[in-house]
Amino acid sequence: MLEIHDLHKRFGDVVALQGCTFQVSRGRMLGFLGPNGAGKTTAMRSIFGLVRPDSGSVTWDGEPITPDERLRFGYMPEQRGLYPKMQVRDQLVYFGRLHGLTTSTVTAAADEWLQRLGLAERATDTLESLSHGNQQRVQLAAAMVHEPELLVLDEPFSGLDPIAVETMSDVLRDQAAEGRAVVFSSHQLDLVEDLCEDVAIISQGSVIVRGKVSELKTSAPIRHLELEIDGNPSGLLADLEGIQSVESRNGLHTVIIDARTDIRGFIARAEEVGALRHFAYTTPSLSDLFREAVQ
Amino acid sequence: MSGLSGLWQVALRELKVRSTSKAYLITTGILLLLVTAMVVVPQIVGDDTEQFQLGVVGEGNSDVIATARALATANDVPDATPSVEIEVTEYENRESAVSALEANDVEVVLADGEELILERGGGFFGGSSLVQLLQRAASTVALEEIVAEEGRAAEDVVALMTTDRLTTTTLTEDDPDDESRGIIAYAGLLLLYGAILLYGTWILTGITEEKTNRVVEVLLSTIRPWQILGGKIIGIGTLGIAQFAGTIVAALIAIEITGVFELPTLDAGAAATLVVWFVLGFLLFAVMFGAAGSLVSRSEDAQTVAFPMSMVAVVGFFLSIVALGDPEGVAAVVGTFLPVTAPFVVPVRSALAAIPLWQYGAAIALTAGSIVGLVFVGGRIYAGALLRYGARVSVRDAWRGASE
Repeated sequence: MLEIHDLHKRFGDVVALQGCTFQVSRGRMLGFLGPNGAGKTTAMRSIFGLVRPDSGSVTWDGEPITPDERLRFGYMPEQRGLYPKMQVRDQLVYFGRLHGLTTSTVTAAADEWLQRLGLAERATDTLESLSHGNQQRVQLAAAMVHEPELLVLDEPFSGLDPIAVETMSDVLRDQAAEGRAVVFSSHQLDLVEDLCEDVAIISQGSVIVRGKVSELKTSAPIRHLELEIDGNPSGLLADLEGIQSVESRNGLHTVIIDARTDIRGFIARAEEVGALRHFAYTTPSLSDLFREAVQ
Repeated sequence: MSGLSGLWQVALRELKVRSTSKAYLITTGILLLLVTAMVVVPQIVGDDTEQFQLGVVGEGNSDVIATARALATANDVPDATPSVEIEVTEYENRESAVSALEANDVEVVLADGEELILERGGGFFGGSSLVQLLQRAASTVALEEIVAEEGRAAEDVVALMTTDRLTTTTLTEDDPDDESRGIIAYAGLLLLYGAILLYGTWILTGITEEKTNRVVEVLLSTIRPWQILGGKIIGIGTLGIAQFAGTIVAALIAIEITGVFELPTLDAGAAATLVVWFVLGFLLFAVMFGAAGSLVSRSEDAQTVAFPMSMVAVVGFFLSIVALGDPEGVAAVVGTFLPVTAPFVVPVRSALAAIPLWQYGAAIALTAGSIVGLVFVGGRIYAGALLRYGARVSVRDAWRGASE
């Protein structure tokens, strides 16, 4: 298990982390969320010793992480980069060798990954001859070719088209299912909600929300209510207690409301105002939780 | 993975990728061609024969001309093309000879074996070498005539004029190898200087590669900065040295085959000194160039940071020239103990047998120690500067950055 405990880090006058804490277990996938500049990259870099925290600890299975242990980790940094003039397979073999694998093991693994990512015919092409999307796939393969125990990906979904997002999601799901600990950062919240069981939300250097997505949603003090109705609902909504926000767009009214508010009988009252075309009362989405948390 | 195996992987990648790159193959090919051509082409097309056009008029010129030809080609290799040819044109009378001179058909007119007619005097820079040659020839002819007339006495005069009168006695026996050792040390020096300037920039721009490609963050999450730095220096350095050695071997083979000049022989001790100091010097500068390379992320900025190092190499080179002249002087001794100049100065002093053993040992220890120290200092600068992209990073910021 990866445990990050109470990390603090300053770069000169800039506070990057102030109390960053989260865990990732084997076989689980953690979505690490936060607005730009919240400290996601700094926290992830600290796992690989690329940033030295001022205080706090980063441990793997309860022990501080040594350079040798890092060889069993995989990392895909936000700053993507590989060798443009090197052949795709050679590139993967190189990274596998750096992680201590034998050439034969890593060559087999590289070919398997290329097959899986649909790049088998491009194995001997140079990286620069590949499209942007395919280069991203190679980058992903480079982070996983040595079958890491812990996989850390910084914004893996940024800049991907919907098909590539699908591929990436499948791969990450499989990785967790195969027993690896997976953590990735993102600000695409819907995606994280679909993909992750666990989530940690960081804002201004501290993790302010963390836990299982399902538990966070049910235990949240708010609910998400959607309403599409012929006629003006303002009188109807005014009767409801504990409304936190109302957003109206194209006739769809999205309401964040106190979880304790009793909405039984609301549909009947709504029918009196006009024809009800859409009604939903759900636990809050991750976006709701996120907005609530960083406010 | 042990430290050295990570370093080895990095070096191996450099060797594999770069040795098959077009740029490397093309530059190597061009260098080999160029060097071979420099030796061979003058042999084939190089007509070194100097042509003179001489006009003659009157009688008694033939002896002077024959002697001039003999004098001019006295040092030529037998059966080779003569280094000087004098083409002689005879004229009926003085007037026709003078008009030929004015028309630039001939350079000089020799009249009756006694007079030279020129268009103008030699002036400040001296006359034509044909004039000097003819003057010497005429004197020799005159001397020969005296000898023929006067017999032994004159012969003695000639002998006295052409030999050293005083014999010399030297206190220590002359070592005929001294000169060739000096030449070899000097050649070694030039080679080291050339290799540093040529391949130092290679290493420097090669180090920036990982920053330019932004692949460095993936690398640093796996291996340590000194492994990347060391591996790259070994990989690129080896390729540079291989190209350099190949070029030298090609030149030596070409020289042997054409026989342009005789190569001095090299004994084992001198060879070892040269190789040891070449490797030490090259490594030292390579590490310096490597650390400098980590300060920039674009190859455009590379030249700016390369300049100080090139200057140090120039200083080392000049110190060694000073050491050649005065191998036991202050400059030579100071240069011995400065690691950046020792690789230039020590081989020269060693070749001239002008360095005490303890100084030689101390210089090796200091230089080797500096290389190890620099790998770690360079590694730290590398680590501190690597994750800073964009503008050039100052050494101070890089040093501090390593602890962040």
